Amino acid sequence: MRANEDELRGLMIDGLDGNAGAHTSLLRLLVPLLRSYYRRHANGSADDIEDLVQETLIAVHTRRATYDRDRPFASWLFAIARYKMIDHFRRVRRLQPIEGMEELLVAEAFEGASIARIDVDDLLGTLPVKQARMIRATRIDGLSVAEAAAADGLGESDVKVSVHRGLKSLMARIQGGGR
Amino acid sequence: MNTDDLIAQLSTDVPRVRRHSVGWRLGLGLAGGLIVSLTIVVAVMGVRPDLSVAMHGFSFWMKWTYTISLSIAAVVVTAQLARPDSARLRWLWLLAIPVALLAGLGGLELLRTPPGEWLAMWLGESWMVCPWRVLTLAAPIFVGLLWSFRRLAPTRLRAAGAAAGLAAGAFAATVYCIHCPEVSAIFVLTWYSLGIVLAASAGALLGPRLLRW
Repeated sequence: MRANEDELRGLMIDGLDGNAGAHTSLLRLLVPLLRSYYRRHANGSADDIEDLVQETLIAVHTRRATYDRDRPFASWLFAIARYKMIDHFRRVRRLQPIEGMEELLVAEAFEGASIARIDVDDLLGTLPVKQARMIRATRIDGLSVAEAAAADGLGESDVKVSVHRGLKSLMARIQGGGR
Repeated sequence: MNTDDLIAQLSTDVPRVRRHSVGWRLGLGLAGGLIVSLTIVVAVMGVRPDLSVAMHGFSFWMKWTYTISLSIAAVVVTAQLARPDSARLRWLWLLAIPVALLAGLGGLELLRTPPGEWLAMWLGESWMVCPWRVLTLAAPIFVGLLWSFRRLAPTRLRAAGAAAGLAAGAFAATVYCIHCPEVSAIFVLTWYSLGIVLAASAGALLGPRLLRW
């Protein structure tokens, strides 16, 4: 079962008002959410993922006073999740590709990141719509081929072919034309 | 530990949280630090002897207006950075208002003063010690804020450290006003601000190390 923002936010607010049951349900609902978040972004072993999920649950619990009842719950939660992910990999001193890194660096390299994003948008804009969408889904948003296929109601091989053709023509364009 | 056990353990302790608990926590830390700084001014540096007269004058209130408004703006920014979802900072421009106003005042002051006296007015009697004293007085307030942050959740540690340092510096300058007899706007604009900026820089340097959680 996937919980939605309103439900999570309601439970969080009840928990802040002292309702322990609501707080417990909230933490339980967060487990699958956090697992899929870290599976998608952290690229670590199953143990790493579970460590991160637990660290984040503890953080959500001990820092619950920093949630502002008037603001979205998801952005509060994922800000913590992202922070814990960066902190975790800094601590274990392993270089892991972290997807969405440009988002993490926004604070320090806002300009560079926005230029890169504009470049990506420009390049994808030159492709047929379907190819661009599939590249965005699988290479930027981090969906698996199966997820992207399901989301768009296409076959998996169709997605693979679109991504492959799109990347090939992008490569040709960058190597040949752009200076 | 198994994740279900962890949740069961966490769920045994769910106290009620007040609506403005972040503000309260910051306020407590600030108040604790301010008491220490105030004690240092009174006991070590000494209150300026003419304080009760000065409090009826323009320059004292000019200084306080500058440092207090800067303190408030810095706390507003710090409070935002104390929460995890602080990607978009609001009210940052508030910091520019006191600086711009004081700079305007300094300009008027220069116009009304013969150029030959500008240097003396700018350096005052205490330009060499003023920034360092502000920085010294900022230290206890910064420590107070560090205590506050132990229960808060900053995710941009350098920015949060800088904001806390800025707030500590601005409050330190406010406290220092009861010692410092300087009267000119350009003195305050330069040397007070330098002390405040030093405190903010120290905060930016220390933030990533001290604010981790």
